Amino acid sequence: MSRTVVSKRSSWPRWARRGLMENIATAIIAIGFLMLFQHFALSLYTYSFITMLAGTVMFIIVSKFPE
Amino acid sequence: MLNRTADNVARATPEPLARKIRGISDKGLAWLFISPTILLLLAINIFPLFWAIYLSFTNYRANRPNEVVKNLGLSNYQRILGDQDIWIAMQTTAHFVFWTILLQTVIGFTLAWLIDRKFRGHAFWTTIILVPMMLSPAVVGNFWRFLYEPQIGLFSYVISFVTGIPPTNVQMLSNVELAPWAIIIVDTWMWTPYVMLICLAGLRSIPEYIYEAAEVDRASNWRQFWSITLPMALPFIMLAVLFRGIENFKMFDMVNLLTGGGPGSTTEVASITLKRQAFESWRTGYSSAFAIILFVAVFGLANIYVKALNKVKQR
Amino acid sequence: MSLTTAHSVVAPSANSKRIAGVIIVAYALISIVPLLWIFATSFKTPPDSIAYPPKIVFQPSLEGYCNLFTTRTRQTPEYINSLGPATGLCDETVRKRNMVIAGPSNFVPRFVNSLIIAFGSTFCAVFLGTLSAYGFSRFKVPLADDLLFFILSTRFMPPIAVAIPIYLMYRELGLSDTALGMILLYTAVNVSLAVWLLKGFIDEIPREYEEAAMIDGYTRLQAFWRTVLPQATTGIAATAIFCLIFAWNEYAFAALLTSGTAQTAPPFIPTIIGEGGQDWPAVAAGTTIFLVPILVFTILLRKQLLRGITFGAVRK
Repeated sequence: MSRTVVSKRSSWPRWARRGLMENIATAIIAIGFLMLFQHFALSLYTYSFITMLAGTVMFIIVSKFPE
Repeated sequence: MLNRTADNVARATPEPLARKIRGISDKGLAWLFISPTILLLLAINIFPLFWAIYLSFTNYRANRPNEVVKNLGLSNYQRILGDQDIWIAMQTTAHFVFWTILLQTVIGFTLAWLIDRKFRGHAFWTTIILVPMMLSPAVVGNFWRFLYEPQIGLFSYVISFVTGIPPTNVQMLSNVELAPWAIIIVDTWMWTPYVMLICLAGLRSIPEYIYEAAEVDRASNWRQFWSITLPMALPFIMLAVLFRGIENFKMFDMVNLLTGGGPGSTTEVASITLKRQAFESWRTGYSSAFAIILFVAVFGLANIYVKALNKVKQR
Repeated sequence: MSLTTAHSVVAPSANSKRIAGVIIVAYALISIVPLLWIFATSFKTPPDSIAYPPKIVFQPSLEGYCNLFTTRTRQTPEYINSLGPATGLCDETVRKRNMVIAGPSNFVPRFVNSLIIAFGSTFCAVFLGTLSAYGFSRFKVPLADDLLFFILSTRFMPPIAVAIPIYLMYRELGLSDTALGMILLYTAVNVSLAVWLLKGFIDEIPREYEEAAMIDGYTRLQAFWRTVLPQATTGIAATAIFCLIFAWNEYAFAALLTSGTAQTAPPFIPTIIGEGGQDWPAVAAGTTIFLVPILVFTILLRKQLLRGITFGAVRK
């Protein structure tokens, strides 16, 4: 499922390439999970859902970005 | 033999249908082939999902269908995400997910690493090891209740025999401390073979020449393990960990049958809470919101899983 | 030279092989004990099954199987003596416990439900899956990657979360507690696996076969029937077995959405009770009958297992 959308010489900014952004999204989802699963602060648990949702939406969007 | 089957199949194709489809372009045919699946999934998975999203904003109760449904906005979500009890259910889930994955990965990888030595008869014994993971978690999990029974259960008997604890005191399922571990043991027993199988594939995907090169460089076995075996097998381990993580995050059948969430609520994982709210208290709107929260969590992991899947596929 | 390589990982030494073998065999034997215990318990009498210490050597009996297939009522010895001679082995066994067979139990109907639902949904899932997999494998489908991900992602939905709206939907449509409803649901869950697995299998069949057939004057569809399908038989069979095993083993949906007429065996078996608690030999007998088909399939599938559990990604 490799998405080769744009040719090599694209004007797409380097920092917004798919690989990097996907890793960031993955990290956000992982942080959301840690917030969901931790037993230290209720408020972290409260915001875990929105964090996971943000990470997931971001993942879906950035997986459309060129490599 | 093969050709004969082909001819039979071709003859069995209804002629009028074949003639009708003959004129269809490749593109049309592609959609004709794919759309039934998509439609089925839309009807059985996506439509219900949207319905659940709608319900999650209401106070609907499935056992009182005639009552006026009120729109509650986000308050169901606010209540769940501020609820101490559900937070504790999440921690119970976390405890369960963490230990099962840790045990399964360590044991599974070790087994795979040993099997990779290709001793005589390894294929046969591998098949034997794989059997538990193919069985129904519910039906086999149910039987573990018998093995855990104090005194008469085989597991309890063996434990008391080995440790010297009086057999009536080995109460795996009714002891608050032991009940979570009872479930972890069954899950580990059942799913370690899964992790093992994927790890084995990872180990076998490492090309021989890398080891030969390391051998030339006189790298020790220990060194080879840490700098070749483990890193090269890591994508596969990740794949197994992610899949087991998703599955155990939503674990229902085994817990429901072994302890039903008890004693008290010590083994009440998220799915059990959800089932109690949805199908015992009939708070449909509230539990829909909870279902959506769980769904988003699983969907996030599924994205990562598919990414890992593609990484492994490229090997 | 040969001495050093003998100790390398490339060729494990005889000693390390032996140690590995011993550990693996030990693990395999321990992990198989619960299954052997199920099998043994199914041939025990109820008193034997709850003996302390647990009995390894015992007089085999079919009482568990008798209890599994029948419902019984307790009667006075006088009443039992007034009946004619016992009509069969089960009758005889049951009378020894001062009981009379009242009728057949629900096990057979539940088992038949399991068969109908598992085979029905497998057939539908493999049928739809084969078509879609061929579509994705051979044609340029717009957004193919997204559709494939969408298809796979439906498999990850937590069953309890899906069960809530499905319960309401089926209630509206009159599909609650029907075999058709369960077949539709299991088809939807299984089709994702079927598409992914079969796409892998069909990808491996060279396109040249179809192209040759089409040059010979076949249409695309005929080429699909005559060249692709026969070559994909192994893949289709393996996929079917995976779908069958899933539908056969499924518990969460079945427990929440079926209660009577369409109930399958997994939610039924745990409810088998005798007098004063669970009738473990009967449960073990039901479990044994339920597990045997899966054991056979596992052995048939062992070469394809890896592929099945990774959605076709790891082909080895």
